[in-house]
Amino acid sequence: MATFTERMAPVLVLWLAVFLSGTWAVDKGNFKTCDQSSFCKRQRALKPGESPYRALLETMELTNTRLTLQLINDNNKVRLLLELYRLQGNMTRVKINELKPLKPRYEVPDVLIREPPTEPLSLLSQDENGVVLSLGAESQRVILSARPFRLDIMEGRDVVMSLNSRGLLAFEHLRMRKDTSQADPEAEKKEEADPAAQPEAAKEEEKDEDGMWEETFKSHTDSKPNGPSAVSLDFSLPGVEHVYGIPEHADTLRLKTTENGDPYRLYNLDVFQYELYNPMALYGAVPVMLAHNAQRTTGVFWLNAAETWVDISSNTAGKTVFGKMLDYVQGSNETPQTDVRWISESGIIDVFIMLGPTPKDVFSQYASLTGTQAFPPLAAVGYHQCRWNYNDQEDVAAVDAGFDEHDIPYDYIWLDIEHTDGKRYFTWDPHKFATPKEMLQGLSDKKRKMVAIVDPHIKVDSNYKIHNEIRSRSFYIKNKDGGDYEGWCWPGSAGYPDFTRADMRDWWASMFAYNQYEGSMENLDTWNDMNEPSVFNGPEVTMHKDAMHGAWEHRDVHNLYGFYVQMATAEGLIQRSGGVERPFVLTRAFFAGSQRYGAVWTGDNAAEWEHLKISIPMCLSLGLVGISFCGADVGGFFKSPNTELLVRWYQTGAYQPFFRAHAHLDTPRREPWLFGPENTALIREAVRQRYTLLPYWYLQFYHAHRTGEPIMRPLWVEYPEDPATFALEDEFLIGRDLLVHPVTEEGARGVTAYLPGKDQVWFDVHTFQKHNGAQNLYIPVTMSSIPVFQRGGSIIPRKIRVRRSSSCMMQDPYTLYVALNLQRTAEGELYIDDGHTFNYEKEFIHRRLSFANNVLSSVNLAPEAQFSTGSWIERIVILGASKPSKVLLKTDDGQESQVEFDFDASMSVLTLRKPGMNAGADWNVMLQ
Amino acid sequence: MKLLFSCSLLLFITAACLCGSAATRKLRGISSSYKRFYRERRSFLCIDGSRVIPFEQVNDDYCDCEDGSDEPGTSACPRGRFYCTNLGFRPHYIPSSRVNDGICDCCDASDEYNSHARCQNSCWNLGQRERAYVEGQMRTLDEGLQLKQQLIEEGVLLWREKQAQLRELQQVAEDLQIKLEEHRRRKQEVEQTLKALEAGDTRVRGKNSSESTFRLLDSNKDGSLSVEELQEKLVLVQEEELLLSEEEAVALMGGGRQMDLPMFQHSLWDVLNTENRVKIRGIVDAEDPHLKAADTAAEREASSLKKVEEAYDTINMEISDLRKKLTIDYGPDWEFLFLNSQCYQLNVYEYTYNLCPFNQVTQKSTAGSEVSLGRWGMWAGTPKNPYSQMVYENGEPCWQGGSRSTTVTLTCGTETALCGVKEPSKCQYIIDFQTPVACQPVLKQRGIHSEL
Repeated sequence: MATFTERMAPVLVLWLAVFLSGTWAVDKGNFKTCDQSSFCKRQRALKPGESPYRALLETMELTNTRLTLQLINDNNKVRLLLELYRLQGNMTRVKINELKPLKPRYEVPDVLIREPPTEPLSLLSQDENGVVLSLGAESQRVILSARPFRLDIMEGRDVVMSLNSRGLLAFEHLRMRKDTSQADPEAEKKEEADPAAQPEAAKEEEKDEDGMWEETFKSHTDSKPNGPSAVSLDFSLPGVEHVYGIPEHADTLRLKTTENGDPYRLYNLDVFQYELYNPMALYGAVPVMLAHNAQRTTGVFWLNAAETWVDISSNTAGKTVFGKMLDYVQGSNETPQTDVRWISESGIIDVFIMLGPTPKDVFSQYASLTGTQAFPPLAAVGYHQCRWNYNDQEDVAAVDAGFDEHDIPYDYIWLDIEHTDGKRYFTWDPHKFATPKEMLQGLSDKKRKMVAIVDPHIKVDSNYKIHNEIRSRSFYIKNKDGGDYEGWCWPGSAGYPDFTRADMRDWWASMFAYNQYEGSMENLDTWNDMNEPSVFNGPEVTMHKDAMHGAWEHRDVHNLYGFYVQMATAEGLIQRSGGVERPFVLTRAFFAGSQRYGAVWTGDNAAEWEHLKISIPMCLSLGLVGISFCGADVGGFFKSPNTELLVRWYQTGAYQPFFRAHAHLDTPRREPWLFGPENTALIREAVRQRYTLLPYWYLQFYHAHRTGEPIMRPLWVEYPEDPATFALEDEFLIGRDLLVHPVTEEGARGVTAYLPGKDQVWFDVHTFQKHNGAQNLYIPVTMSSIPVFQRGGSIIPRKIRVRRSSSCMMQDPYTLYVALNLQRTAEGELYIDDGHTFNYEKEFIHRRLSFANNVLSSVNLAPEAQFSTGSWIERIVILGASKPSKVLLKTDDGQESQVEFDFDASMSVLTLRKPGMNAGADWNVMLQ
Repeated sequence: MKLLFSCSLLLFITAACLCGSAATRKLRGISSSYKRFYRERRSFLCIDGSRVIPFEQVNDDYCDCEDGSDEPGTSACPRGRFYCTNLGFRPHYIPSSRVNDGICDCCDASDEYNSHARCQNSCWNLGQRERAYVEGQMRTLDEGLQLKQQLIEEGVLLWREKQAQLRELQQVAEDLQIKLEEHRRRKQEVEQTLKALEAGDTRVRGKNSSESTFRLLDSNKDGSLSVEELQEKLVLVQEEELLLSEEEAVALMGGGRQMDLPMFQHSLWDVLNTENRVKIRGIVDAEDPHLKAADTAAEREASSLKKVEEAYDTINMEISDLRKKLTIDYGPDWEFLFLNSQCYQLNVYEYTYNLCPFNQVTQKSTAGSEVSLGRWGMWAGTPKNPYSQMVYENGEPCWQGGSRSTTVTLTCGTETALCGVKEPSKCQYIIDFQTPVACQPVLKQRGIHSEL
């Protein structure tokens, strides 16, 4: 209701000062380049081929589970300890820390779901140049070279990956500050007494460089009391030309080489109006990179939560296709190679090398380390209607009614920050949301839900319970001088709870109890925004690196903060229901492992066609590193989309895992029915397509939860030997069986989709037209077109009775779409549970549907599981079928009955009418 | 298929014999006007004519017809609709997808015949409430229309009054114009007199001219001043005017007894001008009374002309204001005219909204600052009733471009008042405004009763 300036005045002034550069794009000057980040600059200045590190083979200790060995830096004689583990599931872990650090260095806790189980390593051979270790039963070995130190992982005679092959291992040991070390004879003595920590007296004097002990960016000074502490290591990938992952960047799916610009940066930041196609850091960081070629997929997980930069170079990057052909013709045997270098500001080197060899092996290897996608409640897979802000309860009721009036389904309506009492989270505006329970009950009566925002910045206000409790328990992050850290955010001056503390997280979780969070109900879930953390007046709009989390600096834990916020919030939602209900929590900031706690979105995008396009590679990249539940703000957050863009965005979003429309406070309303009946119908149709496919989506989430495989996946994951798929980012697969090529071009008349698979066929899901694989198919499009194809050989369950919300559709019957391949077979699955509780661990239906020899059958994949459903099979549509003379249904009680059918000869579509068996039963349908 | 068909025929016969229950199943979800399509036969023709199906496939929970007409009573067809009879209330259609979805949509509970939802028949209550509401509405409408009639009459009076006022103002303006011309003429005359005086009588400028003073003092006009002449014309001013002694006169002459003009200009003239105590006798201010009179008259005429001019401008502004107001469309019967020059207020949370119809909308926060939400733009209702909405535009500029604007929706009520303010999108306000003059007799004709 308020005029913007009045309500936002304090914030706006700041916003202006901090963010606005007068142009529309991000103000790059607010964020550091590698050159402005002193450790990155120092590390990047190192020259390859001059590694000072040597392995001290005589220090090697080999136990059943690990190898340890000291490394020495011949320049300064500082020793490092190398630990090498063979992990179960074809992984190798390499850990490097200082042998005797001045004080402990940060090792990331809570991200690994457990201490990864090891497998025995065995020594194959050893001489003064190095050792050869066997990595288990396969023909894999590790060759450890001593001078300079280097690791090569071999498969047979091929090198799969080399570490420090370019000699860029660097480990800035902790040291006393020169001007203070003299004043501390105690420490000096201790160091002298310990030859390992303070080796040969002939130690070279290391020069202090600028930025080692203090660093200033814009008006912010980082006090750096611990001095330089960066770590860095290089990896070489022979035979690899395609690397992926390390989200979050607004960039292509296939990572680019970084020699001519900045490295990719991983540092969780609230970037105002981010720019596309560049390596700048965004809201989240997952330090996992996948490398792929037609023979093998591998991955590297760099477990470090500090600011990190990743350099990528390639010996083929500059070559043209002609150049490559010339190499081939002339028999040049230079193998393509990609070199990657990781640089982090603090912590240790802790690397997990996932050796594949298939993409799915890598997913399962990574999942065994950090866990899989949380299995969301079914409703969260539906459509979400959000806006900053729905103004009051009346507004919420009117929007809810609008969906009914226009017959568009939705599951969640969202409330942004304005719903609170003065940006005090866990509260409601006393006027606009005076009776939240009434509002929530109203939604519940329609079987719908709500998400309200809870951000981690807490208003400093002695009349605010949450603040008082956090302060009295001393749960706030401290500034470098020991006081509570205060920054500026939505509420004005705010404190930031220390989510790295388990006791803080427990307390936070307890705040979601129904009797603590007043006005909350079972159908209220949570959105964690601004958890990078965003600090409007902090360096790079985030927290000062010298802020303290207990003994650790913010520097050490920065990229973990958002991960912990979501963890604590999800735990709170679980606890409030006594551990019964699955939580739904959306987060903007994330880290490796965040998949365990809910969904992420790509932050504050804009209503531009390029932003629509990039939502695909951004979510694909996240899926590759375990975070499947990804989406972009439908319509674009900043600015106002034209109608065509809005419709296209709905059509794209309907086929992405997290499907939420959102809009900035300053933009005009854009509920689906505000653009004329034609566009309302187009949007309705897109949303309805989402709902008909909910059984398939839900099954994909179940799979992602069980296996760690991405839901929305690049084509190369399923067609790893087909180089034509390696860089595709304008189309994608949902699971294995649906290929989506959304229209993302303004005024498009057609799209060209690549249909993969040499001996495959694909069926247009709208027309049932069959197309051969391994071709580029031109598809003419109109405004209603969403090009989607079902793979021949698959069976997809749908519910075609689209209702008001997913939960209204729980008991509805299924239609099975059986798409036959050239062998006239097909396979699929059906998964059913209660849709919202943790009972799914025992109570569910999981069936294999298979079609072969003209028999379609349903077989129980989980005989030990208990669940019964009222849902039945109302229709079976067989694509690519021939006309049978008779169709018989045989149920498990031995009864046989005839099934009516309809055959469309022009499209070869056989529709079985109302076979009627229960979706949980065993049955066979025979075509005769 | 042949076998199938006979099979279904058999089924059909059995179904037909199940009379009661089967009949109610078949009838579910159909309005009486559609019943003719669903008469029990062997087969059913989809209403769009696209297909013929066996009759027992009607409402069998499987969608056979493209248009959904075979499943009026189930949720099977994506495009189907279900008819709620709602006896006691108003019948209506709901989308088939709301049949048995666990949410009560029809007040007669007929949509949830196979669900866990425990729906109660609430039609009678709703009907009561609706009737009460409609009655209330009718009362409001009647009352509103009566009030409207009064307001129309007032409007007519007001219109006449305004017209009269306009005429009056125009008369005043005309009078003023005459006056103005008169004043202009007089001013000119006075100015001419003044000019003539200045040009004709050299003494006129004596006050400022050394030559004229010299001539004044030179009684015998011999071109030279003598002691006697000074004694005759000059006085010493102390408490009163004192005559000059000879010595004093000689002293003023600088010790001589004669003084010519150049010498006068270099000595005595300065003394006369700077020394307050020596004055020319009788003419204290050394001013010509004619000139002074002419001067005063000129000033007076100038100022009264200015006053008249101002009055004339004011009147003209009032006239153009009034004309502008009178050109605004106040409805066919000038019924909205009375809103002019009125303002209406409403407090919403911490804000006070102020609507001055045909003028502007403002918002004032408790903190104090007042913001314009738009100035009168135009009527913006439907083509049928253009007077159902007003638009106020070009208010205070907004944070990210554009300016604030307000849409005022007028509804029928017995009082004229603001009923609600919303800001659905930033800087776009919607005001609900009730007034008897928005009451439309057509509403009564259309009659909410007929739907009951």
